[in-house]
Amino acid sequence: MYTFQKGFYTDVRIEEFYETTITYTLGQLDESKIRKYKAAFIRVFDGSLWYYAATSDVDQVQNELDKLYGSARPNPDIDNHPVVRAFEVHQDNKLCYVESGVDRVPKAEKEKLLQSFFPILNAQPALKMWKAIYIDAKKIMTLYTSKGTQLTYDTQRAGYALRMNFSEGEKKLSESYQQATDTFEGLRKDTEPLQEHIQKCIDFMTHAVPVKPGKYTVILSPLAAGIFAHESFGHKSESDFMVGDETMIKEWAIGKKVGSDILSIVDCGTIPGSGYVPYDDEGTKARENYLIKDGILTGRLHSTSTAALLQEGLTGNARAINFEFEPIVRMTTTYIKPGSQTKEELIEGVEQGFLIETVNHGSGLSTFTMAPSLAYRIENGKVVEPVNISVISGTVFETLSLIDGLSNELKLLSFVTGGCGKMEQYPLPVGFGGPYVRVRSMMVQ
Amino acid sequence: MIKEYYHATVIDTTLNVVNSRIESVRSKNITKTSLRVYKDQRIGVAGAIGSYKEDELLKEAMEALDRGIDYPVAPSSQLTMTQDLRKPLIAPQDLVTEFGQLLESLRELQPNYIFSNKMSLSERSNILYNDAGLKLEYADRTISAGLIFKEKSSTSVFDGAVGFRERKYDRKLILDEFNLILNAYSEKVSLPPNGRYPVVFLTEDAPVGKFITGLKADVLAKGGSLFSEKIGQRLFNEAFTFGQCLDPQEVYLSPFFDAEGVVNNGYTYNLIEDGVIKAPYCDKKTAHKFGFAPSGSAAAAYDGVPQTALLHPTIKKCGKSLKELLGGQTGIFVMMAAGGDFTPQGEYATPVQVALLTDGERLLGRLPEFNLSSHVYDMFGQGFRGVTDRTFLPFSGDSMAVLEMNIAAP
Repeated sequence: MYTFQKGFYTDVRIEEFYETTITYTLGQLDESKIRKYKAAFIRVFDGSLWYYAATSDVDQVQNELDKLYGSARPNPDIDNHPVVRAFEVHQDNKLCYVESGVDRVPKAEKEKLLQSFFPILNAQPALKMWKAIYIDAKKIMTLYTSKGTQLTYDTQRAGYALRMNFSEGEKKLSESYQQATDTFEGLRKDTEPLQEHIQKCIDFMTHAVPVKPGKYTVILSPLAAGIFAHESFGHKSESDFMVGDETMIKEWAIGKKVGSDILSIVDCGTIPGSGYVPYDDEGTKARENYLIKDGILTGRLHSTSTAALLQEGLTGNARAINFEFEPIVRMTTTYIKPGSQTKEELIEGVEQGFLIETVNHGSGLSTFTMAPSLAYRIENGKVVEPVNISVISGTVFETLSLIDGLSNELKLLSFVTGGCGKMEQYPLPVGFGGPYVRVRSMMVQ
Repeated sequence: MIKEYYHATVIDTTLNVVNSRIESVRSKNITKTSLRVYKDQRIGVAGAIGSYKEDELLKEAMEALDRGIDYPVAPSSQLTMTQDLRKPLIAPQDLVTEFGQLLESLRELQPNYIFSNKMSLSERSNILYNDAGLKLEYADRTISAGLIFKEKSSTSVFDGAVGFRERKYDRKLILDEFNLILNAYSEKVSLPPNGRYPVVFLTEDAPVGKFITGLKADVLAKGGSLFSEKIGQRLFNEAFTFGQCLDPQEVYLSPFFDAEGVVNNGYTYNLIEDGVIKAPYCDKKTAHKFGFAPSGSAAAAYDGVPQTALLHPTIKKCGKSLKELLGGQTGIFVMMAAGGDFTPQGEYATPVQVALLTDGERLLGRLPEFNLSSHVYDMFGQGFRGVTDRTFLPFSGDSMAVLEMNIAAP
């Protein structure tokens, strides 16, 4: 296929992309397009530096490769470089979305799906402004490496998001309703959940009161728990931040107690949905990776390079947002394992606290944050009123140790809008979720 | 029928830094083309990455007309403007050597820190033209770094970030700037008692999110915004003027026109003027639909229909220095405040991960983490002190906004 020069490690990642985007604002069509392209990202490693090139002309891959070889210095011992030795080699053809490909569904059906929600969206006087968005994306990846990997696999997601602005006098609320999965056929198309959500939003807007800032017990919904797992611990598990950093290597020693005994967090690329990647962008096979098991630090996420440099096993987490970027260490589907209590039991155990149902966004540094949208005050074991909260926050390790309850249902969520951001690479499709999670103390403002 | 082309080219050489050393070199040269056709008050768009066949792209755009996307306004016309801001900088092939030396100096000068992330030489070129006499051309080139830093003894993933983006390069001044910030970061100072203080943001980091969501034309017109039915009202400080700025002297790597070819007077469009809400932001189609003036706020994917987006929001400068705006007080310079937000009613709160104390001319030390809060009508009302013309930083040309806000220990 390509001529790989000796003295280098080389890989060529070819991305064949298909995406539908349909957008209506207040029932009027704003956008209706199908994007298709085929493009490539090329990497050459000489043992000292990596050289990358992106090209939208796949017929020029060999020329681009030769240019990169011209910039690099041949290394006769490249095959014995620890990073090169660590690359997995696979030959596989794993196309899961041939029959159920979103490219086989007529666009008219996708438009019709969005249109089925219009009567409900138009029926509520308090719903002043709305936008209905349908997105699907299918990617066929082909990877060739100088070590002999030859892979073809596909990933896919489909879904819709309804963005809504409510108003009643001076009271306002912006909320959204989103459904996503891996096939068009698998999408939930009934309208009842939307109707319920709209009623909930109107009730929230009408009755929400300002929060009294302070530290409280907080119960996170599966959505909020997933964001929490992703932001609070998932990003810290990305091992590219550890390379060459002795302090972090000691601080993040496998086997260290980092959370409460009931807490387990997993990242797994094999789950169908927006975090599905059967192989990562370096050709490493996806697997289930426990980050925390029963409160103990059990693993972390790796590219081949970080795994080799930190002398740990591969995990299948080298991902790029598209052909214009190199793979870096990223999450796939990250979630908290469920526990044994019911949601109601978790709420009953709260004297003063908050239930966080939906979240606008989150961030994860030494202090992680979530900006809630729909949130409710709990008093003496009962949900009593909606509240407006700007942000909830906590320090990661302290908060992980304060988890004292997990519900017994696991909900994993996929998304078609937004995604994970890391430095210049945004948005990357990921999935996340969990059960209802109770945290004994978080800062609420 | 009117045919319109938009070519956007990105030429980047980007170095990735790991553990304070260059790890990789990435070259990118990608052109994306948008072909729009306008006919019978409808728009059809086709896009291509890289090379394309003219007749196929036109056929695709013509077919897109049948999708029924209304465009009841005339495309921009009869305007020719060119802005080429490219100045000689470091040659791409010399970038590894130059940035390697910069990093070597940084390792020597700041041995307690580890640096990572990207350094880039970036070039952009945007050309928008149609057969109604529109031809707008823009080109720019910058050199930039966005380095995250971490104390070697720190257990955080990273502690903060230093960086720049300029059309000039001066290794000494860059090192001076990094030293100024990192030396201050190394010096711990106590958090003042809970209360109201002047808080300093780089203007591009100022918390203006409520204006971006609330001054969007369709949301505002339909009553979904906190600012609905408040056009013409003075709700903010008389010194507060907020809007969109595409002035090439102020904004890097972004054309002076929007995706529909609208060029504003002086490249700016005020949404709030002297504290009074004047107008929302919108693209031409939205402006037509709701009876507003177009604000030149359209963005478009290479294969997409232009949509409303506020491009480079900015606050008008006041001509004063930071020291003058602080009025003898010490200010709290927020370097990193991730995760906060506004409630629907306008209350604002955020944790502040990294902040330095400043007297307006010097950075005095690093504050512990704290919580910041206010209300949109207060922080840009009574609490708004102004925006400096520039910073006291040796290399970066950014300005700084000073807002009185409440701080509280966590």
